Amino acid sequence: MSMEEQDLLRSAVKEFAQKSIQDRALKIEHEGIDSALLQSLAAQGFLGARIPEKYGGSGIDLHGYLTIINELATFSPSVSALVMLVNSVHAALIGDSEPEVMKKLATGEATVAVSFSDVLEGSWTATSLQKSGNGMKGAIQASTLHNSQYAIAFNREDGHLYLFRNGVKALEEDSGLSFRGLSNGPLEIDSTDFTVLSDRGLESLKNVVDSLDLEVAAIALGTAKGALDKAIDYVKVRKTFERPLKDYGPVGNGLSKLMAEYLALSSLLDTVDEKDERARLTLKVLSVDFAKRATKAALQYHGGYGYIEDTGVEKFYRDAMGLSILFQRPHHDTMRLSKEIFGEKSGYL
Amino acid sequence: MDFDFPEDINNARKKAQEFARKEINSRMAKEYDRKEKFPEELRKKAFEQGLVDYTNPWSMLVTIEELCRADPGLGISATVSLFGAEVIMLFGSDAQKQKYLTQVQTGEKIMGLAVTEPGGGSDVAGIKTRAVEKDGKYILNGAKMFITNGTIADFFVMLIRTEEVEGKRHHGLSAFIVDSDLPGFSKNKLSGKLGVRATNTAELILDNVPVPKENLIGEPGKGFYYIMTFFNISRAYVAAQAIGIAQGALDRVLEHLNRLTKEGNTALAEEVQFLAADIATRIEASRLITYKAASYLFQFRPNPTLTSMAKAYASETATFAAEKALEITGYSGIMGDLERFFRDSKIMEIWEGTSEIEKLIISRNILKEYAEVA
Repeated sequence: MSMEEQDLLRSAVKEFAQKSIQDRALKIEHEGIDSALLQSLAAQGFLGARIPEKYGGSGIDLHGYLTIINELATFSPSVSALVMLVNSVHAALIGDSEPEVMKKLATGEATVAVSFSDVLEGSWTATSLQKSGNGMKGAIQASTLHNSQYAIAFNREDGHLYLFRNGVKALEEDSGLSFRGLSNGPLEIDSTDFTVLSDRGLESLKNVVDSLDLEVAAIALGTAKGALDKAIDYVKVRKTFERPLKDYGPVGNGLSKLMAEYLALSSLLDTVDEKDERARLTLKVLSVDFAKRATKAALQYHGGYGYIEDTGVEKFYRDAMGLSILFQRPHHDTMRLSKEIFGEKSGYL
Repeated sequence: MDFDFPEDINNARKKAQEFARKEINSRMAKEYDRKEKFPEELRKKAFEQGLVDYTNPWSMLVTIEELCRADPGLGISATVSLFGAEVIMLFGSDAQKQKYLTQVQTGEKIMGLAVTEPGGGSDVAGIKTRAVEKDGKYILNGAKMFITNGTIADFFVMLIRTEEVEGKRHHGLSAFIVDSDLPGFSKNKLSGKLGVRATNTAELILDNVPVPKENLIGEPGKGFYYIMTFFNISRAYVAAQAIGIAQGALDRVLEHLNRLTKEGNTALAEEVQFLAADIATRIEASRLITYKAASYLFQFRPNPTLTSMAKAYASETATFAAEKALEITGYSGIMGDLERFFRDSKIMEIWEGTSEIEKLIISRNILKEYAEVA
């Protein structure tokens, strides 16, 4: 996709988000992404952006896809993460073996709950699935999109990764720190209809998490931009000591520097070569760190108003932190980057 | 120089730790956070067991620290029901002290301080709420925002404009005691806060609220001075809240690292060790500044520079500790108490004077001191 096409796509996503997400962003945080929004995302071709056209997806290239999730994140990181999950996690794990499920994913007819708890850093929890006659039963302590029809989960007993087509029951929702629009929570599985997606389940899950470098960078930058946009609008009109906040050095110059950082990282994202692992990791590590700093500053510039959800900036602060834990393995990523820099295993002591 | 506390303060800390162990747990903290519910039972128990006694400020300081270490939202809620009492204590009449302070000191009543207004904040002198004398009363009109204990307090100490003084905005402000059951007084609970969700916060609306003349605190037009004096006190307590949050985050990091070690990860990554060391060092530094500021304050010779240093540094330590603690503990942190500590900690840099305001106070004071010496 050329830069001009990327710009056009960005405008289309922005227009869609202004119409379909902006005024509902708080509702999404409280109630999750409803089926109407899911259908709208699908109708625009955003939901199944990377899914092949034969399954009802758009089959667009990587940079087009990154543009979509980047722009969506400026309005709702949860919606952006949903599109990432569908394209880069669910579709990647399910693949061509389940054409019917892929079609439902691309068209928003169904969603898939997925649990990364077995592979994320610092996790003590693990899924506990067991064979039970011809079926499989167990509990998954935490998953995203837990109120889905399907679920993908790892069975520690046999080391396989499964797709469950029935018997997926959402237990009480736990909104947690971040990505509240994804409806996170525990699952109960009592299924008789399931497929093995991988016989090396843990490795598959790790690989899929580690493959999200550019997606995570795109969401991080969109999240930061969403918060910075709000802060810039706010400090222009908010006065203190009879002057607009933007006129004060730490505010005006601080925000300007953060925007400069954003622009530099965004231009890298627009042109990154997906085969260049060093560039991918650099973008992810820097963008996630940047998102945490930018969203924190944006909240601070709002003062007390930043601390309440109505202003819409606190979710970016929560999601930036959540992004660094829920969709990546930060210590492992730093080690990968060190290996790229030194050409051998480094920084592990 | 002796850095150790006397025995009675150490005992107060132990008593608060024991109370926290018995009365506060993760599940309860999570529930009150999710439901945005004020822990009235916990507050009452804290009074019944003699934990809340602002006449003994050192004990109060360490008690706040220990309760916030267990959980920030619950810890603050249990100790904040006398918020603003020092204004009456220092500048109020004997009759006001008798009528209003007796019952808040026993925990029977709750009070609050109402200074901030919608669209206001750091600019305290920009108060727009007005009081006009009429028929032997003051008639109050305006609104107050982000008021702690807003819907549960029986009365508030409020900063209100009584006079316009050309070119001197901080003049013409007066402090009043305003009962919350007066006609024309309404309150809207603010929900959906990022953190400290167990605490009660509200917007207050004053629509022709008639306040008896005898509820004016001290002299008319001196309110700004009274409130600034109060902030010098309250900021030391906020620093204690922040230290508690930071210590609570470190406790959970150490628990996590200890578990890792027990499970065979004998060589912890040095990056993680450095972070834990940074958190612990910042907490120790925050304690030293806060205790020094408190020592001046509690001897009735406040040092606003030190108090602002304590408030700003301890607050930034709280957010630093909570953020780094989440980074160290990763998924287990985000699924446990630390996600709440992360959300709770951010308010420390905002309320009772943002970090930016504290830094302005510090720099203005040190420049002034330099100019005086030079």
